[in-house]
Amino acid sequence: MILTQEALKLPQINYVALSPMLILFGAATVGVLVEAFAGRGRRYPVQLGLSLVSLVAALVMVVRVAHTRELTAGGAVAVDGPALFLEGTLAVLGIVALLLVAERSLEPGGPFVAVAAVTAGTEADRVQAQRRDAGTEVYPLLLFALGGMMLFVSANDLLTMFVALEVFSLPLYLMCGLARRRRLLSQEAALKYFLLGAFASAFFLFGIAMIYGYAGQINFAAIHEAIQSSTNDRILLYLGLALLAIGLLFKAAAVPFHVWTPDVYQGAPTPVTAFMAACTKVAAFGALLRVIYVAFERTAWDLRLVIGGIAVLTMVVGSVLAVTQTDIKRLLAYSSIANAGYLLVGVLAVGGNGNHDGLASSMFYLVAYGFSVVAAFGVVTLVRDADGEATHLSRWAGLGRRSPLYAGLFTFLLLAFAGIPLTSGFTSKFAVFGAALASGQAWLVVLGAITSVILAFPYLRVVVLVWLSEPGENTPTVSIPGALTSAALAIGALATLLLGIAPQPLLDLSSRAAEFVR
Amino acid sequence: MTSVAILAEAAGRVGTGEAITFWVLTPVALVGAIGMVWARNAVHSALFLVLTMLSLGVFYVLQAGPFIGMVQIIVYTGAIIMLFLFVLMLVGRDASDSLIETLRGQRTAAIVLGVGFAGLICTMLARGLTSMADKGLGAANKDGNVQGIAALLFTRYVFAFEVTSALLITAAVGAMILAHVEKRKEDKVNQPAMMRRRFAPGNYPGPKPGPGVFATSNSVATPARLPDGTPADRSISPILPVRELTAAEAAPKGTEE
Amino acid sequence: MHYATASGTLSSVWLLIAIPLASAAILLLLGRRADRWGHWLGVGSVFVAFILGLVYFFALRGLPAGPGSYRGADRTLFTFLDVGKLKVTFGLLFDPLSAIFVLLITGVGFLIHLYAVGYMADDPGRRRFFGYFNLFVAAMLTLVLGDNYLITFIGWEGVGLASYLLIAFWFDRPSATTAGKKAFIMNRVGDVGLLTAMFLMFAAFGSVSFSDVFGAVGRAGSTTVLMLGLLLLLGACGKSGQFPLQAWLPDAMEGPTPVSALIHAATMVTAGVYLIARSNPIFSANLAAQTVVVAVGAFTLMIGAIIGCAKDDIKRVLAWSTVSQIGYMFLGVGLGGVAYALALIHLLAHGFFKAGLFLGAGSVMHAMNDQTDIRRFGGLWRYMRITWVTFGLAWLAILGIPPLSGFFSKDPIIEAAFNRAGWSGWLFGTAALVGAGLTAFYMTRLFVLTFHGPKRWTDAETPGGPAAVHPHESPPVMTVPLILLGIGSLAAGALMATPVKDWLLPVFNNPAEETASHLSTLTVTLLTLLVVLVGAGVAVALFRTGTELVEQPAGPVVTAARRNLYGDAVNEALFEKPGLYLTRALVYLDGKGIDGLVNGLAAAVGGGSGRLRRTQTGFVRTYALSMLGGALLVVAAMLVVTLG
Repeated sequence: MILTQEALKLPQINYVALSPMLILFGAATVGVLVEAFAGRGRRYPVQLGLSLVSLVAALVMVVRVAHTRELTAGGAVAVDGPALFLEGTLAVLGIVALLLVAERSLEPGGPFVAVAAVTAGTEADRVQAQRRDAGTEVYPLLLFALGGMMLFVSANDLLTMFVALEVFSLPLYLMCGLARRRRLLSQEAALKYFLLGAFASAFFLFGIAMIYGYAGQINFAAIHEAIQSSTNDRILLYLGLALLAIGLLFKAAAVPFHVWTPDVYQGAPTPVTAFMAACTKVAAFGALLRVIYVAFERTAWDLRLVIGGIAVLTMVVGSVLAVTQTDIKRLLAYSSIANAGYLLVGVLAVGGNGNHDGLASSMFYLVAYGFSVVAAFGVVTLVRDADGEATHLSRWAGLGRRSPLYAGLFTFLLLAFAGIPLTSGFTSKFAVFGAALASGQAWLVVLGAITSVILAFPYLRVVVLVWLSEPGENTPTVSIPGALTSAALAIGALATLLLGIAPQPLLDLSSRAAEFVR
Repeated sequence: MTSVAILAEAAGRVGTGEAITFWVLTPVALVGAIGMVWARNAVHSALFLVLTMLSLGVFYVLQAGPFIGMVQIIVYTGAIIMLFLFVLMLVGRDASDSLIETLRGQRTAAIVLGVGFAGLICTMLARGLTSMADKGLGAANKDGNVQGIAALLFTRYVFAFEVTSALLITAAVGAMILAHVEKRKEDKVNQPAMMRRRFAPGNYPGPKPGPGVFATSNSVATPARLPDGTPADRSISPILPVRELTAAEAAPKGTEE
Repeated sequence: MHYATASGTLSSVWLLIAIPLASAAILLLLGRRADRWGHWLGVGSVFVAFILGLVYFFALRGLPAGPGSYRGADRTLFTFLDVGKLKVTFGLLFDPLSAIFVLLITGVGFLIHLYAVGYMADDPGRRRFFGYFNLFVAAMLTLVLGDNYLITFIGWEGVGLASYLLIAFWFDRPSATTAGKKAFIMNRVGDVGLLTAMFLMFAAFGSVSFSDVFGAVGRAGSTTVLMLGLLLLLGACGKSGQFPLQAWLPDAMEGPTPVSALIHAATMVTAGVYLIARSNPIFSANLAAQTVVVAVGAFTLMIGAIIGCAKDDIKRVLAWSTVSQIGYMFLGVGLGGVAYALALIHLLAHGFFKAGLFLGAGSVMHAMNDQTDIRRFGGLWRYMRITWVTFGLAWLAILGIPPLSGFFSKDPIIEAAFNRAGWSGWLFGTAALVGAGLTAFYMTRLFVLTFHGPKRWTDAETPGGPAAVHPHESPPVMTVPLILLGIGSLAAGALMATPVKDWLLPVFNNPAEETASHLSTLTVTLLTLLVVLVGAGVAVALFRTGTELVEQPAGPVVTAARRNLYGDAVNEALFEKPGLYLTRALVYLDGKGIDGLVNGLAAAVGGGSGRLRRTQTGFVRTYALSMLGGALLVVAAMLVVTLG
C-alpha cells in the first residue's frame, strides 16, 4: 500500500528561529570532521575558533529572533520568550565555560588528557602526561551538549525533550572522563554519571509512557487539554508526572536524586564542572519550568506539596552537607544542590499571578548563579601545585597572603553564594523568594532563609581559611591565569557584581520574556 | 484480507491465539529478566537478556506493532546483544569478581525497594488501566504500521529524528575517544632505530635469564642466581613485586620423597 | 506616613556613603602602594563625611516642618529590584533620626580614626585596617540612611562583615578568629530575624519601605504586628548584644581597641536601638511587643552590670558595661513615647563617654605593654595625666553624676521606667535603679584599680618583671581625641538633652510628656544619686588599697558573674552538647587548617551533616539504590497527595 502524497503534509520548519541550535549542531559536526582531517598541531586553534565563532553566532541569532513567539517543526519545538532567554543564557555561559576549557597556559596542554584511551596509571600514561598537547574532541562535544541543552529548554513535546536530554547528556558523560590529572577519579565520575543518568532517563521514559497512556498525546498543549478533558483515570497522569519529574530533578541535582553531584563535580575536569554547574542547571530548570508551566499547570496545586517537599529536602540536605565538606569542589557541589533547592522554590511559584513572576525570577536566578559558579570554578583551576589543582580545603589556608587578588575574587563570589546584599546572589534569592511569597509559599521562603544561613557557614569557613590563617609550607601557589581564564573570571565576577547592584535591566528582560506559548 | 485490515481488526479484541502466546511467553520473559540479574556468569546474563528481548519482540507483534517487533528482534538480539557477547569474549569472562556484596544491607534494601517500587507501579497501573478503553490503534495503523510510523517520523517528530543524528555522532566520537590510541609519527619505530637501541651502551642485547625455579622453589618470583651466587634481578618479570617467599614456595620440590 | 522628596543640598546625601566607600576601595585595592599615606586618606574621608553631615544637618533644619509630617528628605537613587509586586528602590532618607546617627557615626568615627593613626602606628596592616574601618563607616551610614528595610539590611550585613573582619584583624591569634566567627554566627541568627521580618512585611503589606510599612501597620492584625515586632527585636538583639545573643560582644574585644571603641561601643552595637526606634510605629502599635523589648532591656542591663562587677580585664569590663548600657537604651525604646527620644539621647551620650573609656583603656594598654588585667595596674594617674582626666570625666559621666552627660541621659530613662503603668513600672524601674548602682560599683572599681592605689605592675608575662614597665602618656594624635571626647562627656549631656529631644520627638509622632505616676522626677533623681554614690563608695572603700593579683575564691554569686552568669554554659548545654554528641559520629573533618566548629548551632548542623555524609559512600550501586528509594518516595507522595 502506498501512502498518498497529500496525507503526508510536511511540517513547516522555521529555520531562522531554530538557527541557534542548528548553528551549534552544525559547528559540532564540522568540529568532528576537523578532528578527522586536520593535523594534530592545527586542531586546537581551529577548534577553539570554530567553537567561539559558532557560539557567538548562535548568540547573535538569538538576539535577532528575540521577538519570535511560535511553535515550529510540527509543534515539536517552541520558540518563545523563555526558550530564547535561556538559549541566550546558555550561549553566554557556554562562551565563558569554553574560555576555561580552552585555557592551556596553566599547565602544559591544558586540563584535558591527550589520549583518553591510554589506560590510567600505565607507563604510556606517564609518557602522555608529559605531552604538551591535549585531545581536542572536547570542543565538538561541548557544542553538541550546548545544542542539546538549547533544544531541551525549547522542546514542546516529551519525545523531543527526551531526545534532547540524551543529546546533551552523552557529551557530558564523555567530557567528565577526560581529565588530564587524576584520571581514575575522572573516569569513575564519568561512569557514575553515565550509569545514574541512564537510570534517571529510564524513569523519564517510563513517565512519558504513562502520560501518553493518560493523554493519548505527548505534546504539551495536548497534555494541558487532556488534563481537563480526558476521562482516563488520573492515576496514570500522576504516576507519569512523578516519574517524569524524577528524570528532570536528576539533572537539576535535587535531593534525593543528587547523589551523583559531588562525585561527578569532584572528578570531572574543573572547566567541565563549571560548564555542568552553570549550563546543565539552566537546561534542567528550563525544561522543568516548561513542563510544569505549559503541560501540567492544571495540576500545579497537586504538585506543590511534593515538589515543595523536594525543594525543602534539597535546600536542607545541600546546605547541611556543605558544612562538613573538606574539598572545595565538593563544597561547591553541595552549594549547587542547595541552589537547586532555591530554584525549585522559584519554580513552585506557579499558578495564578505568581506564574509570571516565578518564571521570570527563576530565569534571573539561573543567569546570576551561572555566572558566579563559572567564575568560582575558574578560581579553583588556578590554585594548583605540582600535582595539578589543590582542591583540599586545608591546602587553601592562607591563600589570601599568597594572592590577594584571586583570594579576594573568590571571597566575593562566596559572599554572592551566601546571598550578601549587593551581589547577584542576594538579588536573585530575593527575587525568587519574593515570587514564592506572592504565590503564598511562605513556608518555603522561611526554610530558604534558614538554610541560606546554614549555608553561609561553610562559605565563611573558606573565607576564614583563605584570609585568616598563615600560609603553610604546602599552601599551593596561585597560577597566573592566561588571557582566556582571566576573561572568564572577569566576565563572571563583573556579572555577579552588576547583577547585584543594578539587576533591573536583566529583571526587566526576564520579565518580558516570561511568557510561554502553548 | 489485507494486512491493514488484519491489523485494524486485531486492535479491538484479544484472540485465543494471542492469549495463549501471551501467557506462554510472559513467564519466559520474566525468567529471562530475573535470570539476567541473577546469573553469576556474564555470558549467561547476556543470553538471558536475549530471551527477554525476543519475548518482548513477539509481544510487540502481538500488539499489532509488527515494525517495532521486528526492530526489537533485529536490533536488540541481532546487534546489541551480539556485541555484548563479543565484548565479553574479548575481555574474557571472569566470574570471580564483584559477586560478593560488601555493603551491608545493600542487597536487602535493593530487593525491598525494588519490589516495593514494582508493586506500587503495578497496582497503580492496574487500577488506572482497568477502566480504560483501548482506542486509536486502528487509526494509527490505518495506512499500515510502517507507514504510520514513517508519517510521524517525517512530520511531527522530524526534528527529534534529525537531532538523533547528533546523539549518534556523539556516541561514535565517544567510542573513538575512549578506545582509539592514535599513533604519532614520532612514536613509530623502524628497524634501524630498534637495532640501535638494542645495541646501545647500557642495554644488554641478549635474552634475559629465566627465573630461579630450578631446584629450590616452584615460584617464578625466585630470582636466578649469578655464578657468584648473587640474585640476578633481571631474571624476574618487572611486574612481579619483590617480596619474601612463603614457606611453601621456598620449600624444595616434592620429588625427593 | 510620607517623606518629602529631597531637593537642593539634600539631594546629594548619597555622598555621605560614597566618600568613605571610595576611600575604602582605594585603600584595599591599591595595596602596598598606599601604605605611606593610606591612613590619612581614611581619616580625611571620614572628616569630609562629618563636615557634609553637618551641612546636611543644617539644611534639614532649614526645611519647614510640614503639617502631618515632619522634616525629612527622601532621595531615591535608582530602582534596585522590581520583581512582580515587590518594588524596592535604592533610596536614602535623611530625617532627624538619621541625622543624629550620621553626626554620631562621622563625628565620633573621625575622632577614633584619628586616634587609630597613633594606635596602629606600628602595625604592618595599618592600611588594611583603615580600609576596613572606612568600609564600616560606609556600611553604617547605609544602615541609618536607608529609606526601606532592604537598604537598611544591606548596611546591616555590611557592618556585620566589617565588624567580623576587624575583630579577626589580628588573625594570628586563634582567640581573635574564634571571636570573629562567634560574632558572625550570632549576628547571622539575628539577621534571620530581620530577614524574616522583611518577608513578613512583604507578605502582609506588599512593601518593605518605611513609609508604606508604617502606613499599613494601623490596618494590620495584631498577631502580624506582634510577630513583626518580635522578629525585628531578634535582629536588634543579635546586632546589639542583648539577651539571649549577648555572648559575642565581650569576645569581640579581641579586635584592636579603636575597633572596640567605634564598632562595639559607639556605633554598630547601637544599630539595634536604631532599628527599634526607626520601627517605632510597629512597636507603638503593639503593647506586647513593647513589653518584650522592655523586659529584654531590663534583664540585659542587669546581667551586664552583674558580670561587669566580676571581670578583671579592662576591655571586658567595658564590654559588659556596653551590654548593660545598651540594655538601658532598649529599656528606653521599649517604653515608647517620649522614652524613644530619651533612649537616643542616652545612645549619643554613651557614644561619647564609652568611646572615651575605650580609647582611654587603649591608651593605658599602650602604656603598659598591652597588659589588660586591671589587678596589675594602679597608681597610673601620676604618669598619664591626660588619660586620667579624660577617663575620669567619662567615668563620672557613665555614673550619672550631675552635670555630666550620663545624668541627663540615664536618669530620665530610669524615671520613665518607673512611670510605666502598673506593677511592671515598679519592676523595671527598680531594675534600672539597681543597675545604676551596680554600674557605679564596677566602673569605680575599674577606675580606682587602674589609676589609684598602689602600683601592682608585676607582670608575669613580661620578661624583666616590673622594671620593664615604663608607663608613659600617649602621643598627641591619641590624646587629642581623648580630650575632645572628654569634653563631650562633660558637656554634651547638658547641651544636648533638651534640643535633641525636641529635634527627635516629631519622628515619634510627638508623644505627650507623661506625668509621673509612681515617683516624682525629684524623687527618682535623688534616689538614683544615692544609689550611685553608695555603689561608688563601696567600690572606693574596697579597692582603695588595691586588690589581690590572682582570682580569689568567692561566693556563688561572684563565681557565677565571673562565668558570665553561665551564659556560655547555657549555650553549651542547650546547643553545643547535643551538637557534640551528634558530631561524635563525625571524624574530625578539619585537620590543622580548618578550625573546629565554634558555635553550638554550627556543631549541631555539623553533626547532622556528618551523619548524612556517610550516605555518600562513593558506590554507584548505593547511589542508584538511593535514587530508587527517592523515586519510590516521590511516586508514593504524589499519589498520596493527589488521591488521598
